[in-house]
Parts: sequence; C-alpha cells; structure tokens
Amino acid sequence: MIQVEHLTKSFTTVIKKGFKQERSVVNAVNDISFECKPGRIFSLLGPNGAGKTTTLRMIAGIINPTSGTAIVDNVDIASTGDEVKKRIGFLTGSTGLYERLNADETIEFFGKVHRIPEKELNERKEYLFDKLSINDFRKKRIGQMSTGMKQKVSIARTLIHDPEVLIFDEPTSGLDVITADSIIDLIRESKANNKTVIFSSHIMSEVDLLCDDLAIINKGNIIYNDSFSNFKKDMKADTLTQEFINRVKEA
Amino acid sequence: MREILIIIKKELKELLRDKKTIFNSIILPTLITPILIIGISKVTSFINKKESRKAIEIGLVNAPDDFLRLIANDTLNKTTNYQATDDFKNLIDEETIQTAIVFPSDWDSQMSNLNTSEIKVYRNGTKDNVNDRVSALITSYNNTIKEYRIKALDIPVQKMTPFKETYVEVGERKELIGKRIGGFIPYIFILSLWGGCVLSAIDLVTGEKERKTIETTLSLPISKFKILLGKAAVSSLLGFLPALFNIVGIIIGVKLLDNIPPAIQTLIDEFLSVQNLTLILLLLIPFAIFISALLIALITGATSFKEAQSKVTPVIMFIIIPLVLAMLPTMELSWATVFIPVLNIGLGIKDVMAGTIDMAQYATILVSMIAIAVGAIFFSYKKFSDENAILK
Repeated sequence: MIQVEHLTKSFTTVIKKGFKQERSVVNAVNDISFECKPGRIFSLLGPNGAGKTTTLRMIAGIINPTSGTAIVDNVDIASTGDEVKKRIGFLTGSTGLYERLNADETIEFFGKVHRIPEKELNERKEYLFDKLSINDFRKKRIGQMSTGMKQKVSIARTLIHDPEVLIFDEPTSGLDVITADSIIDLIRESKANNKTVIFSSHIMSEVDLLCDDLAIINKGNIIYNDSFSNFKKDMKADTLTQEFINRVKEA
Repeated sequence: MREILIIIKKELKELLRDKKTIFNSIILPTLITPILIIGISKVTSFINKKESRKAIEIGLVNAPDDFLRLIANDTLNKTTNYQATDDFKNLIDEETIQTAIVFPSDWDSQMSNLNTSEIKVYRNGTKDNVNDRVSALITSYNNTIKEYRIKALDIPVQKMTPFKETYVEVGERKELIGKRIGGFIPYIFILSLWGGCVLSAIDLVTGEKERKTIETTLSLPISKFKILLGKAAVSSLLGFLPALFNIVGIIIGVKLLDNIPPAIQTLIDEFLSVQNLTLILLLLIPFAIFISALLIALITGATSFKEAQSKVTPVIMFIIIPLVLAMLPTMELSWATVFIPVLNIGLGIKDVMAGTIDMAQYATILVSMIAIAVGAIFFSYKKFSDENAILK
C-alpha cells in the first residue's frame, strides 16, 4: 500500500545575472494525494515535466519531500530515512545498471545491500535468472549487453529482495516491443502476487493494458484521480490518448 | 560499516576494471620513477661519454709553442691557425671552428718580462662541452706559467699560499642531503596522489551521472552519508596507491642503478628505511581522504567529465604553491607551519627524510590533517546531499 498525503516538492533555482543572483522557487510537485492499493496497478500519467519522476523519487526515498509525506508499506518516508527503500523495487527505462559489473555480480551486490542471507540470495538469483533467461549471458558485463539483456537484469535486480511495492518510472521508454512486453508481463505478475504497483507513463496503450487506478498529473498538480473504469466511463473523446490530451489542456 | 564495505568493494571492482584507472593508478606511478631514475642516469652518462669523445675544432692566433704542446696532449683537439683579423664570430657560427683562442702578438715578450697579458677566447656560451674543455686547457696553462714564475723568482710556495680552507660539517650528511632533496619527494608523492584522487572521484560521482546509475545508487537502502563514505574511501585509496607505488618505483629504480658509491647507497638505504616510509605514508592517508572529500564536494554538481575536470583543475594551484614553498631551503617546519595544509605535509616529509622531524610536530600534523579530512567529509556530505546538484 502507498498513501501519498499532501506531498510537495520545491526546487530552488539560482539564476546568475552578472554579479547578482536571482533565486526562484518552483513547485515541481504541489500538494498531491493519492492511494495505491495492493493487488492493483496504479498509473501516474502526465506529460513530460509534469512531476511524475519527482513524485516517484519521493515515494522511493531518493529525494526528500518539502512537505507532506507518503506511507509506503506502513513506513513513513518522512520519518524513517532509508527504511522505505528496503520495501521498494524501483525500475526505470534507462535500467541504471553498473556497466562494469556482470549480471551475477550486479544481483549479488543488490542482494547483499538488501541483507538477503547468502543461501536465499543464491536461490532467488537462480530462480530469476531461469525465469528471465539470463543464464546465457550472466557472466557478460552489463556494458557489453543489448538493451533487452540489460532490461532483464534490471528486472532481476528490482525483484531480488521480493519487494512489497514496485515503482516503475516510464519503464518501457526507449525499449523495443519485445523487451517492453517483458516489462508488461512483470507488472501483471506483480499484481497477481498482490504487490502494490505504481507506474508512470504517457503511453496510453500501456495504460489500457495494465491500469486499475490512475491519476493524471500536470504542472505538479493532480488533475484526475479515480479508477480506470470510471475514467473510461467519463470519457468524452474517442480515444484514450485524445481524452488524456483534452484533460491536460483543460487543466 | 558492513554497508560501507559493500559499497567500497563494488566501487573498487568497477574502477579496477577500467583500463584508464589501472594505468594511471598502478602502472604509471610504479614505472615512472624507475624509468626517470634509470633513464636520466643512463642518458646523462651516455651524453657525457659521447661529448668527451668529440673532437674540438680550435682556432688559434699567435699561439706559443708550450700552449701548442699542451693542446697536442689531447688528440681530440684539432687546431687551425688564423690571423687576428679573421671574423671568429662568423667562423664559429658557420661551425668551421667551435672556439678561438687569440694570443697577443707580443705574448712571448710579455711572459719573459713577467707581465700580465690577455688571452681572448671566442666562444658560444651554449656549448658546455667545448667551453669546459677549453677553460680546463687555459686554467692548466695558466697554472703551468704561474709555477714557472714562482720557481724563476725563487719564492717559497707557502708564501704564495696565504691560507688554506678547511670546512667542518657539523650537520649530518643525511640531514644535509635530506633537506635538499627531501623537498622534491613530497612533490612527487602528492602530485601522484592528486592524480589518482581526481580520476577516481570524477569516475565515482560524475561518471555515475554520465552512466545514468546515480539514481540507482541513491535508491539503495543505504544512507547517502554511507554511500559518500564508501566513495571517498575508494577515491582516497586510489589516490594513496599511486603514492605507494611511487615509493615502490623509487626502491626498484635505486636497486637497478649501477655504480652507486657505497656512501651514497648507505644514505639511500637510510632515506628509504621502513621507519621513514611508514611516517611518510601515514601522513598521506588523511591527506588522501581530505583531497578526495574536497574533490567530491567540488564535482557533485558537474554533469560531465569535462565539467568536473574544469572544476577541479584550479585547485591544483593550492597544492603546487605550498609544495614549491616547502622545497625552499629557508622554509622550515615550525609550530606556525604545522597547521597549514599541504605545506605541513611537504615540510613534514622533508624533515622525515632529513631525520630531523620533531615527533610532537609530526603528531600535530597528523591530528590536524585528520581533523581537516573529517571536516572535508562533512562538507562533501553537505554537497552530496544537495538533490539539485547530485541529480542534475
């Protein structure tokens, strides 16, 4: 479960004009609240720069909120420091893998960081490698892998500690359809395993395939938050994409 | 601590798989000193030998017979007679001759009357080999004439020698040489330490941004402080290692050198004693941590290798200037200089090499460097925690 409560993130930008400095405060995320339930997939939709990544980074404990908080799997991100990171699997489209390590070393590193006992870590690693067909390239360095291979390793490292909450930040961005499909499978499987899943996207076909609940974020504000079935029911446009565009423009 | 060690292990594994790091942190520092020591020694000896075998073309005017006989003693001297009116500058420029010695036409009568005459030597100041050999010839000729005159005038030798000089060296030879060459040693160590720290710090922070892994690292269930400590430890280690390998290189270089006189060998053994090396390396540990932390703080906001380099490059001046000051013979370690970073390390190493280090001052340098390193770590943490900078 994720409960986002009045979450706000402000960034101070400094603009230098000769010897003078001008500071301006921008709210990347402005007092947003929503809830993601276990066994359901929550989509956070929004155009580029809307605040999706900032929101997900705050939920994942990567950056601190300016105000408000989020309760992730009964852990308050504002008060427990890095505890929340143990309960989360965070996956992005860019994979973010250490390219000088191989798949084995990568998974071992993440397993050790998550304090998984060695025996359990090995079993879980073998299970994931079999399931994702990583065995053939497990000793290859990440830097020498294809995008598809990297994404498989990225999925394995996201799931190695069997997190209760999964956060996907534009997970299929820049991927070919086959690799993107493996991510979609993973999201579905996580839902089937009663995990709490939140993913950000601006690809409506993906949303249509996966989504149970959704929120649309624009310029840091939530402009829609309801179940996907209600969203479809309330649609005025012919397509999901057009409806999304209309709602963002109206906001 | 366990988490910091996991980070250190992973960062080291990554860095040591980078050929650039291996070359700059291990291979280059180990090989550069022996190559320099042996290379310079071999090249110098080769050049000296080659120069001493070269024939010199000497132009002569009115040269007396005894001088011609002296020149003829060395078969490498080739002489040609000229007139006083010849253009010697032109002859030397065109390399027809390399030098010209012009005696006055009344030389013999001047010498017979025991007068002071004048020899004019045309030469090119840049030709050391030619000039040194010609100067030696003239000095030798001068001494011969002096001895002849002393004999002719029947003056006892002691009357012509009012006093003799005897220098009594009260400083130890080790101290004397240590103070002179000791200034260069920290220069080598600290610059290689700096190079190692810069490369690794940039790779560990800016490199992570370029490779888009910084978000992954920050999403680990490890505090930013521990991540920073892990990175600073690895950067310090990869700064410290080149300094250590430099020492190994110096030892190898000295061992490979031939024909070292036993007295010099004993001195070298004293300089490179386990005690000296331990004292030097111990000073370099907090210094490496200080430099690494400072560099990480500076480059946290950089988004590319180039930008990071441009941010750290000016700092080198704050390293080089105190090191140059430390090399000055008049600059000594005192209670005023023990607290000045870099200068204190430079002077401390110089005194360790000379065997004159005051252990109370040494301990003060060590403690002050540890305090500065801790301060730098917290400064670095402040910067590393700046979300605007680290996720830029």
